[in-house]
Amino acid sequence: MAADQAYLDYGAATPLAPEVLEAMVPYLTETFYNPSAPYAPARAARQALEDARATLAHLIGARPGQITLTAGATEANNLAFAAVDGPVLTDAAEHESVLACAQAREHAIVGVGPDGRVSASDVVAALTPATELVSVEYANGEVGALQPVREIGAAVAAERVRRLEEGERTPLYLHVDASQAALTHAINVSSLGADLVTLSAAKVYGPKQVGLLWSSDDVRLRPLVRGGGQEGGVRSGTENVSGVVGFARALELATQRRKDEARRLAGLRRRLQGQLEAAFPQMVVSGPKRDKLRLPGLLHVCFAGLEAARLVIALERRGVYVGTGSACAASRMQVSHVLRAMGVPDEVARGSLRITLGRPTTEQEIDYAAEQIKSVVTQEAERVGVSL
Amino acid sequence: MSRVFVGMSGGVDSALAAALLVEQGHDVLGVYMRNWSQDLPGFKCPWAEDLADAERVAVSLGIDLEVWDCEAEYRATVVDYLVDAYARGLTPNPDVMCNQTVKFGTFAEQAFARGADLVATGHYARVEHGTGGEPARLLRSCDEHKDQTYFMWRVPGEVYNRAVFPIGGYRDKAAVRAACAERGLGIENKPDSDGICFIGPVGLRTFLLDTLERKPGDVVEWETGAVLGRHEGAFLFTVGQRRGLDLGGGPARYVVSTDTEANVVYVTADKMCPGLWSDTLALEDVRWVSGEAPAEGSYLVRTRHTGPLREARLTIDGGRVRLRYPQPERTVAPGQSAVIYDGVTCLGGGIVSKEA
Repeated sequence: MAADQAYLDYGAATPLAPEVLEAMVPYLTETFYNPSAPYAPARAARQALEDARATLAHLIGARPGQITLTAGATEANNLAFAAVDGPVLTDAAEHESVLACAQAREHAIVGVGPDGRVSASDVVAALTPATELVSVEYANGEVGALQPVREIGAAVAAERVRRLEEGERTPLYLHVDASQAALTHAINVSSLGADLVTLSAAKVYGPKQVGLLWSSDDVRLRPLVRGGGQEGGVRSGTENVSGVVGFARALELATQRRKDEARRLAGLRRRLQGQLEAAFPQMVVSGPKRDKLRLPGLLHVCFAGLEAARLVIALERRGVYVGTGSACAASRMQVSHVLRAMGVPDEVARGSLRITLGRPTTEQEIDYAAEQIKSVVTQEAERVGVSL
Repeated sequence: MSRVFVGMSGGVDSALAAALLVEQGHDVLGVYMRNWSQDLPGFKCPWAEDLADAERVAVSLGIDLEVWDCEAEYRATVVDYLVDAYARGLTPNPDVMCNQTVKFGTFAEQAFARGADLVATGHYARVEHGTGGEPARLLRSCDEHKDQTYFMWRVPGEVYNRAVFPIGGYRDKAAVRAACAERGLGIENKPDSDGICFIGPVGLRTFLLDTLERKPGDVVEWETGAVLGRHEGAFLFTVGQRRGLDLGGGPARYVVSTDTEANVVYVTADKMCPGLWSDTLALEDVRWVSGEAPAEGSYLVRTRHTGPLREARLTIDGGRVRLRYPQPERTVAPGQSAVIYDGVTCLGGGIVSKEA
């Protein structure tokens, strides 16, 4: 059966996996209790919360006590930055939540290469004896570039050793936002060499507004949300039991399916890329060329001279849903800061689509989407008189 | 075939206007005028959604859409004008200014400078272009319930000579929606926008309190001079207003007049209070679409959008333009527009002055 619809914006939002919903429902209905309540039935809610925390910890190679549950990745990123007072260092292709946190204090921002990757040596060069936090995402959500976090982790560790040997007492931590990567890449906090790691349920077929910040024992987190003292006083507010249970189940599923799913997504993405490249030799594919250095299910393409907003609308009329650049940038009608950082000229960037494949994506959908994209781009190119 | 620049707001009316122009074979460029993008407490300015809707229509019609930034003009000539007028105890019509200075001001000027033969909007109005250098005539739309000429009286006829209003001939809004649906423009179910666009459902009171300084003063009974209560600023009140007077019960009271200098609001419980009725309107800042004043005589006058058209006698005594009704009518708040018609033709109008 041929598809006549294709949602291809899983980078923006994923549907709840049926198993996740199933796991969540009891904690929205019969076991609705406040985990801090004193009577016996509430203990089931507390237990579910702590079991879920233990599962999450186990899945990323951490201990439960190191996990702070938050309302999503943006909050987790904010919490990571709140742990230090001194200068911070990050790169120009980061998510807005990281860039905004950095810009609110003394900061340095390193550039990225034309493929969207940060170079570890640039990070090393920008480190000063005063730097207290380095923040680099695992995978860029817009163009799909995987960042050299382990190399950067090693550099951060070396700087820490130097400070120790020279008797300098300024702390230095590495924060890694792994939200976009968790679906297709194993997240093991100890092998990452990070001190703080952000994850989001919403990107792994779990509920929105649920996330976590893992922090090593060396880091002392400081609260941004004060109140009843939940989450060890770091994040007050009645715990989102069903959300966290869903998050744990979602990450569990993602871990089980990771290898096969990454391979399957890469195959589908190549299929789509191949069809589009054959039709439009001038089309620019952004991000690293090598599969090893990119998210398998993300295809970022630029059609110079076209207006992405119009392509999205024309595709929407044919049941194909894709993103333009990054979602936040799109609603503000600005050229994406990531593409700018990569040195993509504005007129090329304006014609960029971010196509993200997901678990439900089928070959039929890919073929349908490829046909529609070809037809819409051809029409639009003819209308404005550019050749692709 | 003409080169037409059509103002597209993302709404139903301008969408159909653009579609009709395309169907008539014109070379059409859509322009979204971004006049305001600021959120107010409790109101998220929907400009980005409106722009997305305009873009949807443009894509389905296969025309280009440009975004023109008109925020500076809009702020200076509409928002600041509005605030300033209220501060002086007037009740202005911001839409009148927006048409004069933005839509048929900046937009039209830039469109012509860019090579447009005509500008178009989704206004409910009709225009008859003049021949041989005569100014155009502005006519009320076929749908008398939607007619928007009340807001269009300050625009000179020379501009209307190069303007078209493709939906002015439609029977009613339902017909406009149906025509949009027929063409699959995808926005036919979009609700009508209401009120002053940059204030939205927040209400003028909230906006003014957010913008002007609160200035507590007395609410005084018009007949007796007795102080009945307090208010937060005389600028918040307009003649005939009933709501928003916090007088702790008693009969319904109406604002008869406001004195922003002394910061007093005069009210009455008597609907027949002489201060609420008047048979004469003195106009200032008078404009005529044709550029020339009409002869003195009897005309139709409208003092609010889609309000009744009442007969009144126009006298022009030197610079003083007055309208006299055959019998007293409800007092019109100073600052409002009085728009003068000869049959269906909008001749122009003036701003109702404080001094009768």
